[in-house]
Amino acid sequence: MKKRPTVGEILQAKGVSRRGFLKYCATTASILALPPSMIPRIAEAIENARRTSVIWLSFQECTGCTESLTRSASPTVEGLIFDAISLDYHHTLQAAAGEQAEAARHAAMQENDGNYLVLVDGSIPLGNPGFSTIAGISNVDMLKETVAGAAAVVAIGSCAAFGGIPGADPNPTGAVSVMDLVTDKPVINVPGCPPIPMVMTAVLTQFLTFGELPELDALSRPLAFYGQTIHDRCYRRPFYEQGKFAKTFDDEGAKAGWCLYKLGCKGPTTYNACATTKWNNGTSFPIEAGHPCLGCSEPNFWDDGGFYEPLSTGHFDSGEKLAGAAAAGVALGAVAAAAGRRRQAKFMKEG
Amino acid sequence: MTTPQHVPITASPFHGNVRPLLNEVLHALDKLLETREATTIDLASLPFGPGELEHLEALLGTGELSAKLDALGSSSIRETAYPGVWWLEHRNAFDEIVGRYLEITHTPEILSSQDADIIAGRAHLEEQFE
Amino acid sequence: MDLLEFAKGPALQVAAYILVAGSIWRLVGILLLKEKPDFSEPRQSGGLLAALKVIYTRSFTASPFKRATLYPKMMAYVMHLGLFAVVFLFVPHIMFFEGFLGFEWPGLPNSVIFFLGVAAVVSGIALLVRRITNPVLRLISNFDDYFSWFVTLFPIVTGLLISVRMGFRYETLLAIHILSVALLMIWLPFGKLGHTFLVFVTRGTTGMVFERRGAKT
Ligand code: HEM
Ligand code: HEM
Ligand code: SF4
Ligand code: SF4
Repeated sequence: MKKRPTVGEILQAKGVSRRGFLKYCATTASILALPPSMIPRIAEAIENARRTSVIWLSFQECTGCTESLTRSASPTVEGLIFDAISLDYHHTLQAAAGEQAEAARHAAMQENDGNYLVLVDGSIPLGNPGFSTIAGISNVDMLKETVAGAAAVVAIGSCAAFGGIPGADPNPTGAVSVMDLVTDKPVINVPGCPPIPMVMTAVLTQFLTFGELPELDALSRPLAFYGQTIHDRCYRRPFYEQGKFAKTFDDEGAKAGWCLYKLGCKGPTTYNACATTKWNNGTSFPIEAGHPCLGCSEPNFWDDGGFYEPLSTGHFDSGEKLAGAAAAGVALGAVAAAAGRRRQAKFMKEG
Repeated sequence: MTTPQHVPITASPFHGNVRPLLNEVLHALDKLLETREATTIDLASLPFGPGELEHLEALLGTGELSAKLDALGSSSIRETAYPGVWWLEHRNAFDEIVGRYLEITHTPEILSSQDADIIAGRAHLEEQFE
Repeated sequence: MDLLEFAKGPALQVAAYILVAGSIWRLVGILLLKEKPDFSEPRQSGGLLAALKVIYTRSFTASPFKRATLYPKMMAYVMHLGLFAVVFLFVPHIMFFEGFLGFEWPGLPNSVIFFLGVAAVVSGIALLVRRITNPVLRLISNFDDYFSWFVTLFPIVTGLLISVRMGFRYETLLAIHILSVALLMIWLPFGKLGHTFLVFVTRGTTGMVFERRGAKT
């Protein structure tokens, strides 16, 4: 196997100055949510990192995640990280198609055996292998085959991470997540519908620069981005504490930017970086735009009650059953009273 | 030196990020004076509400020195009205902001010429003699 | 299904059935009982007014006991009023009720609720300490008293924990909180917490009986 160039060499060859490199490292630290004091270490790591082969598999998905990633604004993605990774297979982005594309995938797998990264977006249908195929290969088979020689698998988006919308009730295709199928390789989940582009980039950057997997939470999400709830970092939080809530999307409270809890905000139970990293290059995020968080980076967010139903609402099925319980109570009470009366009468007679 | 425009700190109508941040800057200035140690604050890591960042920028104002850097997209490096407090903005090739920092230092590192670049430049200069 | 879904769905559902059926069972069972015949000559006619009077007067300490019971009485008031405010005036709770009642009412800021919740817990603990240290009270206390105390305080403590967090995950704490509420709902009709709906019935009955016998109420 020929040695792939280091990122430092690639940059030098491109005529990027040291200042440019420093700038790149600073933004990388930012993206990785590392403190600026880490910049020198990052610089050293990036200089020596080698170009890594990436195979991207798209299964039952809407291409929103790819769309999101290619919107990533940092100099990293279009410019540098995509120079630093070699995207050897991505059937939506690559020019090659059909057998040619599959040949590219096999070549990349052979050449980088044990070292390449597999990125997956979309869930995998187990109901019928014919539900989703690429070049006549079912999604399950392609995943298993491709993952065999991978260093790690990154599940991009809530579909790949948790089954997502294809897996929503009644799950007609029997969709499962990457985690459900890949148990013998490290899996990193980067959920979101779609995930924040910066977060996707960051996870790749981290792997490429430090050659190590990030610290993960119980759902295999990188803690750096999924370690805190939206609620804990939300700028509307002071209004929550003051009990100031928007009741509709156009009342005074909504105009004054009050908390969206009443409108169904799932921020308190949602772990994601929207509140700080934000979207569209840090322009804003859904709550800032006036819409409650849907909880898109959490498992089953699609089935977890209504989007506009407050988090503290209970899920009762019907008032009728409750009325039934009341009727049962009356009946039980009547029986108890009758028994009591009989006991009373007996007691009176016997004295 | 231009005098700081006195935008009152308490006038912040926002979500309470500005005050603690300025406090941090104050401590960083103390540290700079006492130990000459610089501090960088990544503004992207703070949960600013709408308008808060602009408020902070207005509050810190513009000082005597500002520079433009052209490397992998443009960057602006500007001393605020408070000497030693620098406002840095990095843009990518599409002119989109990719990083915003406050540096509390005598000179931001990125302003000085870097050895690697000096070496490359020197070699280039030497070539001119041939 | 995760723990939170379980708590919000089936657990609350079953608890609600038990709460409703159990409370009505106990109320009906008592109200339908035949009055015990009292063969003594009535001193006064024990009417509804007498019942209402005792319901009212028993809200305060009778003067001979003022000194002795002022402290526990105050603690009991703080605990009950705190509990009431936390349950019915905390905005996320109001939204919980709105979910099935269909209407809402104004609440208090979370910081005030937090303070009242802490006050309720502190006074609850003070009452327990008294129960344990006072020899007479301890003698007449049984499992029901202690368990009812626990079941009352547990949801307040778990609720307060949600806002304190202490490194635990919000969804886990919320699930535990709701499960603790479900436990309260299940126990409420059967033990001494039944006083929630029986307290005025018993006081009224006492009032009527005492009136009839000419006792000073
Ligand atoms: C099923 C009904 C209930 C639900 C869904 C519920 C839900 C909640 C929620 C969402 C919070 C917010 C925590 C926060 O972010 O501050 C909370 C707090 C709390 N709950 Fe409940 N709760 C219920 C019933 C109760 C009951 C019956 C009690 C008391 C016996 C109680 C006591 C509390 C307390 C003390 C707090 C802390 C208030 C604070 O934030 O300062 N809850 N509850
Ligand atoms: C209309 C509603 C209620 C009324 C009028 C009421 C009244 C009372 C009274 C008069 C006492 C005796 C206090 C004393 O020792 O001086 C008491 C004790 C107690 N109540 Fe309630 N109560 C009500 C609802 C509730 C509810 C809903 C709960 C729990 C969820 C509760 C929990 C307790 C507990 C734990 C005690 C024992 C306190 C101790 O250890 O001394 N109460 N209540
Ligand atoms: S808008 Fe949502 S995330 Fe923000 S404070 Fe309110 S409930 Fe929390
Ligand atoms: S605010 Fe919530 S629903 Fe919206 S993108 Fe972020 S995590 Fe997803």
